[in-house]
Amino acid sequence: MANEDASTGRAGVVHGGDMDHAKEAAPYEYPFEMASEDEIRFRDAGAVEGRPAGVPSSYDEGGSTRWTPEAISEVHALAQLGRYQVRGYNTFNKQLPTFDDLTFVPATMTRLPLEGYREKCETKTILGGGRGLVEKPLELDIPIYIASMSFGALSASAKASLGHGASKVGTMTCTGEGGMLEEERSASSRLLYQMSPARYGVDLDHLRRADALEIVVGQGAKPGTGGLLLGMKVSPRVSKMRTLPEGVDQRSTIRHPDFLGADDLSVKIEELRIATNYQVPIFIKMGATRPRFDVAVAAKAGADVVVVDGAEGGTGASPELLLNHTGIPTMSAIRAAREALDDCGMTGKVSLVAAGGIRSGVDAAKCLALGADAVMIGNASMIALGCNSPRYLEDYSALGTSPGACHHCHTGRCPVGIATQDPDLEKRMDPTAGAERIARYLTAMTMEITALAKACGKSSVHNLETEDMRALSFQASAFTGVKMAGIDRAFDW
Amino acid sequence: MSEIVIEVGKRHIREINEEIQEACKTGQPIRVIDTLSRHNLGVGLPDGADITFEGSVGYFCGGLNTGSTITVERNCGWALGEGMAKGHITVNGRAGMSAGAAMIGGTIHVKGDAGPRCGVAMKGGNIVVEGTIGYQSGFMAHSGKIIALGGAGESCADALWEGEVWVAGPVESVGVDVNVVEPTAEEVAEVDQILEPLGLVDNSRDWRKMISGQRLWYFEARDASAWLMI
Repeated sequence: MANEDASTGRAGVVHGGDMDHAKEAAPYEYPFEMASEDEIRFRDAGAVEGRPAGVPSSYDEGGSTRWTPEAISEVHALAQLGRYQVRGYNTFNKQLPTFDDLTFVPATMTRLPLEGYREKCETKTILGGGRGLVEKPLELDIPIYIASMSFGALSASAKASLGHGASKVGTMTCTGEGGMLEEERSASSRLLYQMSPARYGVDLDHLRRADALEIVVGQGAKPGTGGLLLGMKVSPRVSKMRTLPEGVDQRSTIRHPDFLGADDLSVKIEELRIATNYQVPIFIKMGATRPRFDVAVAAKAGADVVVVDGAEGGTGASPELLLNHTGIPTMSAIRAAREALDDCGMTGKVSLVAAGGIRSGVDAAKCLALGADAVMIGNASMIALGCNSPRYLEDYSALGTSPGACHHCHTGRCPVGIATQDPDLEKRMDPTAGAERIARYLTAMTMEITALAKACGKSSVHNLETEDMRALSFQASAFTGVKMAGIDRAFDW
Repeated sequence: MSEIVIEVGKRHIREINEEIQEACKTGQPIRVIDTLSRHNLGVGLPDGADITFEGSVGYFCGGLNTGSTITVERNCGWALGEGMAKGHITVNGRAGMSAGAAMIGGTIHVKGDAGPRCGVAMKGGNIVVEGTIGYQSGFMAHSGKIIALGGAGESCADALWEGEVWVAGPVESVGVDVNVVEPTAEEVAEVDQILEPLGLVDNSRDWRKMISGQRLWYFEARDASAWLMI
């Protein structure tokens, strides 16, 4: 211990062995009377015997990083139910990044911006024409379309509203796995027809009436697991369309009945091309797990469009563990998918669509910059329809939730009439107002994308690139290969 | 009526199918030769055509059929008559995996054996196999009947919805959630009605009818209130 000898003013060191030579220090005496123990321990502040005041009881506050209140309630739930929990909506995993971890770096001196309020920026998006194989590639006016959500998960009027809204702004909607709904077909100028492994309601007539076909091999919310529709939503009409007993808890298969691997899939794609006379593009939709390899395989198998749905993707019902603990973030999946297409010479031949947790035009613009040719929105479009809007508060309360926090799509008791098959609840969503909100939301999103693209000096939204962004966290940089703000280098890519 | 002959060979599959579709419009019987076990022969055929494949065919033969009568003179690959809605497919030889996968109507008649997952996810129609059906046949069949006269492989009738698997012969094992029941005379008569046009009725058969045990149909309850807590 270094100290200073007060009497000599000489710096010295006191060692145990030198104690004989050290000056004996007299105990320090306060020049005032010692305070009482009560005063020292803030007894007037209500401190109790055995516990310092101002220090909360560990029993009251907890603070375990392992046994959080959420972890404890999870154990209670499993212990009482004897099965995993099921819910709708999307991931609650706090570790996933958000698109806010990326920022745009618009044109300044090295690049020239476009006039944001005046100059044009192309938004037209062509999907599925790259191979030159199909007669009618999809021409969308904007780089956004409505994600596949089934009739069953959503009400018929919600599906029709999505179709009308998308049609108004010149884009597409998707059937989801529940088969083709007449209301949706007639409402949608462009309709993507989904063939899930369960093949509910798939027939040749519907295939030929679709503007594109999608083979589903997984979804971002629960990759590796089939669809789930609880009995409350298997209404007479849903049961008829899916050839299911009414009211059963439908748990769909995830393996396709007629192909197992990539080689068979390529034959399946050829079958669909023949069945539709080479008219429409074939999509393959997958949950984001190993996109670098999965996307390459899908492209090689013959898909015209590959849809990569990140872990943030939504669902009407899923085991909660899959929602929270499977898949990789959308932002990381896009980069890996784009690199995969580049590596196997498929960029330009195969279009890439990104999905999962896209909330705004800003998020969508980031997806485009990371390498997507288009994005699709599911949860966001439901919210635009009115999901989680502050109406019918007593019904939110009956579900044990509130507007802004509701994730009870799985119950079929949607307070605002979107994710339900109950005829009375369904009436709560005005389909015409819903359609207009969808159209406005898509328009606003597109404006957001073009505003960013023009600031970055791009005359087409498809010219956005990773160089237009910087990462605000090392994590986001590592996920995407986008340069880290400041050091201006990509994190280990 | 004279017959239209179409040669497959090594031509592009699109060209062959377009030729078949054109020939269907004439209403004349069609004979397809030199099939070389090619995949995707006769996909999406219209109602009313009569087409014979001389030789073996590959995957998806007769896929998405909407009412044609199709005969395959030898063997066929995977997913014969996949998704078909109407019509009649006869295979004189054997069928590969997933015959009648996700079909919604019509009849498939295989004179030899059928491979694994025969009638997987089928939504209607009937499949009659004179030989045996392979592993996990009838998996998640929603509706319709799979009738195997020779026997069935392992995990038969796994996870059925309202489909039925009828076997008159040894069954290696049944799948999950299966009830094996003795069919009533009326039920047997219904099956005989399917077999009768094929000339396959035999009153001495010892049928085993497999239907869903319905234990997998319900997660816990049909009542929404049971799900509100989560």
